[in-house]
Amino acid sequence: MKAECRDLERALSGDDPSLLAALEAHALSCSSCARELADWNAVSSAARSLHQEWSSPALWPRIHQRLAEESQLDAGRAPRARASSWTRLLPAMAIAALFAIATAGLLVFRNAGGREPLVSHWQTTKDPLLEARAVDEVESAERTYLSSIENLSRLAQPRLAGATSPVLMNYREKLDVLDSAITELKASIEQNRYNTHLRRELLAIYKEKQQTLQNLMKEVKS
Amino acid sequence: MGSRNRTGEENLVEGFRQGSLPAFERLYALHGDRMKSIAANLLGSTADAEDAVQEAFLKAYRGAAGFRSGAAVATWLFRILVNACYDQLRARRRRAEGPLPSPDELGASRASENDHPLRLALESALAGLPERERTAFLLCEVEGFSHREASEILDVPEATSRTLLYRAKRQLQRGLSASGAFRPAEAT
Repeated sequence: MKAECRDLERALSGDDPSLLAALEAHALSCSSCARELADWNAVSSAARSLHQEWSSPALWPRIHQRLAEESQLDAGRAPRARASSWTRLLPAMAIAALFAIATAGLLVFRNAGGREPLVSHWQTTKDPLLEARAVDEVESAERTYLSSIENLSRLAQPRLAGATSPVLMNYREKLDVLDSAITELKASIEQNRYNTHLRRELLAIYKEKQQTLQNLMKEVKS
Repeated sequence: MGSRNRTGEENLVEGFRQGSLPAFERLYALHGDRMKSIAANLLGSTADAEDAVQEAFLKAYRGAAGFRSGAAVATWLFRILVNACYDQLRARRRRAEGPLPSPDELGASRASENDHPLRLALESALAGLPERERTAFLLCEVEGFSHREASEILDVPEATSRTLLYRAKRQLQRGLSASGAFRPAEAT
């Protein structure tokens, strides 16, 4: 292959290595192209000296520290995702509660004709939404959790109040989500005290909160 | 030997995807120096370069689970680094802290008696190039990446990588030639 001055740009573009070789041959007898090629190659030679190296012994430990923190956050994110799933369930739970109330209303009013007292109708219904014994059991379990949670909260509160580490802040965020879910569920239960489903959900959240507080205390100790 | 290397790379990729810190340490040992150099040349400061490298590792860690097997971890990591540097440059512009370090400032920050005048002139001229051309030049000419690797890092076709490098080198060559950097005696 032969190259001429007009091939200079195409040769330098690097698309065709054989064209560059041909231009180098041409440059032996062309001072203009020889100069262009020499400058072109000088840029490449000088470029290699731009590589910089310096010692930075603190950099990897710094990166490692950040990655370790991120790893701990990841560990805390799984329970947070679970907590979020609770909040995602709340609308569905509210609909279920409304359905339960509507069904109960239907049962109460269908045969009552508005003459019999509603309370006596509840007492004589064969399938009430929640029997008294079940309510007692649920409320007893609630009390146990509440007592445990109160004790744990007292211990955890001072640590959480001044929390600055990402892990503790993550716990605080999760506890906020759980508290908010508890408040909403309690409000729903106020309107329908005999709904077993809502009460079970509340118990499950209490259990989650208790577990979270226990994990938090372990984290603080370690 | 080849299969042992492949197994090592596979282990590294697997460790990387699982977020194993030793895998990240290995990546840092293998590529940390080149990462620092690219970032320093893009940002004009070793302190900012170290921040960018740290940011790149953090982003890589967060996205490691979504990393596709079969792709090269290193080029992916370098791509994250380059984007982290671009983010820093954009943030500087947004903060309106004044213009980016001028070519002369960049040169002055590292100048020493032993510096070759052509190297200093090149460093200054480089700061005046468009972002992607400058990066292509740094990757291929300064750090020795192939066009295939550079194209993966820049997320462009290989032909585009060649074009970017050609434009960068031609612009640098013309600038240096006009300033007399190639032949100081002739310029005076």
